[in-house]
Amino acid sequence: MPESVDPNIIEASPTKELFIYMLVRDIPLIRALIDLVDNSVDGAVRSVTNNNYNDFWIRIELDKDHFKISDNCGGIPIDIARNYAFRFGRPEGAEPTPGSIGKFGVGMKRTFFKLGKKFKVDSSTADSHFLVEVDVDEWKTDIKNWNFRFKVLEEGIAPAQIGTIIEITSLYENVSENFALENFQTKLIEEMKTAHSLIMAKGLNISLNGIPLSSKVFSLFSSDLLKPAFVEKVIDTGPSPVKVKIYAGVSERIKSEGGWYIFCNGRMVLEADQTSVTGWGEEDNLADIPKYHADFAYFRGYVFFDCDDAELLPWTTTKTGVDVDSRIFKAVKLEMMTLMSPILDFLRKLAKEKSQKETGEIEESQLEKALSSATLTKYSEIQVQGKFVEPEVVLLPAGPRMARIAYSKPVDDVEKIQQIVNVTSNKAVGEKTFEYFLKYEVNE
Amino acid sequence: MSGSYKEIDYRIRPAKAVERKMLCEAFRRLSTFQKIENYRYIGLGSTNFMDFALLHRSLGVTDMISIEKEKDDHERFWRNRPYRCIEMQFDETTIILPKLKWDIRSIIWLDYDSKLDKNILADVGIVCANACPGSMFVITVNSQPDSLFDEGKEVDRLSNLKQLVGNEKVPENVEGSDLRQWGVSKVYRQIITNEMLEILSSRNGVLPSSHKINFKQLFNFNYADGAKMLTFGGLLYTEEQESLLQKCAFCDLPFVREGEEPYLIAIPILTLKEIRKLDGQLPKKAGEELTLPAVPIGDIEKYEKIYRFFPTFTEADI
Repeated sequence: MPESVDPNIIEASPTKELFIYMLVRDIPLIRALIDLVDNSVDGAVRSVTNNNYNDFWIRIELDKDHFKISDNCGGIPIDIARNYAFRFGRPEGAEPTPGSIGKFGVGMKRTFFKLGKKFKVDSSTADSHFLVEVDVDEWKTDIKNWNFRFKVLEEGIAPAQIGTIIEITSLYENVSENFALENFQTKLIEEMKTAHSLIMAKGLNISLNGIPLSSKVFSLFSSDLLKPAFVEKVIDTGPSPVKVKIYAGVSERIKSEGGWYIFCNGRMVLEADQTSVTGWGEEDNLADIPKYHADFAYFRGYVFFDCDDAELLPWTTTKTGVDVDSRIFKAVKLEMMTLMSPILDFLRKLAKEKSQKETGEIEESQLEKALSSATLTKYSEIQVQGKFVEPEVVLLPAGPRMARIAYSKPVDDVEKIQQIVNVTSNKAVGEKTFEYFLKYEVNE
Repeated sequence: MSGSYKEIDYRIRPAKAVERKMLCEAFRRLSTFQKIENYRYIGLGSTNFMDFALLHRSLGVTDMISIEKEKDDHERFWRNRPYRCIEMQFDETTIILPKLKWDIRSIIWLDYDSKLDKNILADVGIVCANACPGSMFVITVNSQPDSLFDEGKEVDRLSNLKQLVGNEKVPENVEGSDLRQWGVSKVYRQIITNEMLEILSSRNGVLPSSHKINFKQLFNFNYADGAKMLTFGGLLYTEEQESLLQKCAFCDLPFVREGEEPYLIAIPILTLKEIRKLDGQLPKKAGEELTLPAVPIGDIEKYEKIYRFFPTFTEADI
């Protein structure tokens, strides 16, 4: 029996096809996977009160046929599942999760639709358990109804194992091809380490296909002579203030690792930033900070933003960058630049001493010596004080002023002289010929 | 081992000579795809061009390109070519490879003497992205482990590797302790294979199923005339060419390795007279053993494995 259709109605509702297309378009595959990891991490954060995550784990399995992430991080409560976790967008009235990372409510579903055509969520909390199984092709056939259904729904029970298992199968071809490559897995591991090193260092175990991930370590050189800088602030934004901690100093000289590291609620959003975003090489600024280059490879700055309301933190929607327009970030950036300036000055002096040592102007570099006798300490274990303290340089009595001579001569001639003088380096040829001339032609 | 007569003369590089002949024998089987003399050969000949000479004489290949990064002394290299059909290209491989025509079936042997690094991986990528199916790709790298100490401090071998090839190329399960002895060859093989698979996956994304290009590993040589070396390589072919690959019967060759297990080229120390005596007993009949008094059994066994490829060195007044 045909339904009576109001001829004045114009069909304007979105199609599921279009919706899925738009939803998954702009998110890279690795980002989508990390969104799921973020949810698990959030669960762990909610379950822990003593800052110790040793008992929590997240296990990820992936290959060309399936993706699975399981954790023991608290599980998803039934009412969250029913009303919020599977919704598209965060409805009003949803409670903010203190200290959370997954704030935008889009992550989980987007990843499911991005990866494959069948997904399953099996989650148990202390007193509930549910199972949702969706076949996307089937779901798409119902044009009007956008809901899912619980396949299993149990409340008031006490499950043996608390946590969540998410499994996605019937993977799309391009996803499947990527999952088969070991290089893809290595990239995913690198990004997970970048995002979650901090909480892994506190004990959270994350593994991929059985391989446990090791966390990156954030440290600074510290000694009696050399002390890292530290600043702590609380920014008043109403009921949920933003707490900021800045550590700055020097570490090992690795060009790709020098720069600023920014963390929001424990998640690294900027790694080794060497750009104007964190104050490098800008024209108009108060401290005349230069562009990043190799001499500054020792520099490390770590900035930790923490807030119960994730929306107030200065990060982008993808959680992989800083919101440069954020008022909070702009204010903190000024502090960062103030702390950075004396450290860069120290590094310039260090570079100068090193090149003086190479040309023989000075015997040894005191700054270099002080640096090598300092210990690399984890940022959390540093005895914090205030501004950067650099070793004092004892001014040695000035030796004779030196001048540098450099010239090129044909290799054959140089080798002939080497043989006569019985030396092997070009430098020695230059020095010996100079001394010879000085002795016989100049000095009385 | 005390007497110097028990040591190999590195200048002669016997393991390299054996490897060269083995590879040549394997290349011969490519005639299933097309006449072997119509293949192009791309290599790094340096001043000795030994691979070029062998392939031209044994297989009749004439379309030959030697890539040389030495900027000066062009004429010297040019004049040292053993045959006129060898074309010289002077620049880094990374610059020359993308400029070549790639619609010709080729045998490409990039015989580097340095350790695996980003530039070499980039070259691997260029070849995989461009070579036409039915091409053979072989690469040799120095896989000598870093010395354990540098100026008194213990060396972080894993960190050195990550710096050379890039963090994202080193699989997570590789540890510093894996980079000892022949372990470096094993890890290099993994890294090179991963790079090839990744590039081929991208290349194949837009190709119809029957035209998708696969890589079949055939060579996984470990040898050491001086430093430890790895020679890794195999065939690029499409699904359609699967039957041609079977016909080549590469696996009949005793030195072919299709997986993780390497083929170690071990050179026995034998005098010419001893070699003649062993040759007289070869090939072995079933149930027989080779005998040669006063010579260690190990050396006899090593010789038997590779006798057909063993170089004969003589002093000659030329």
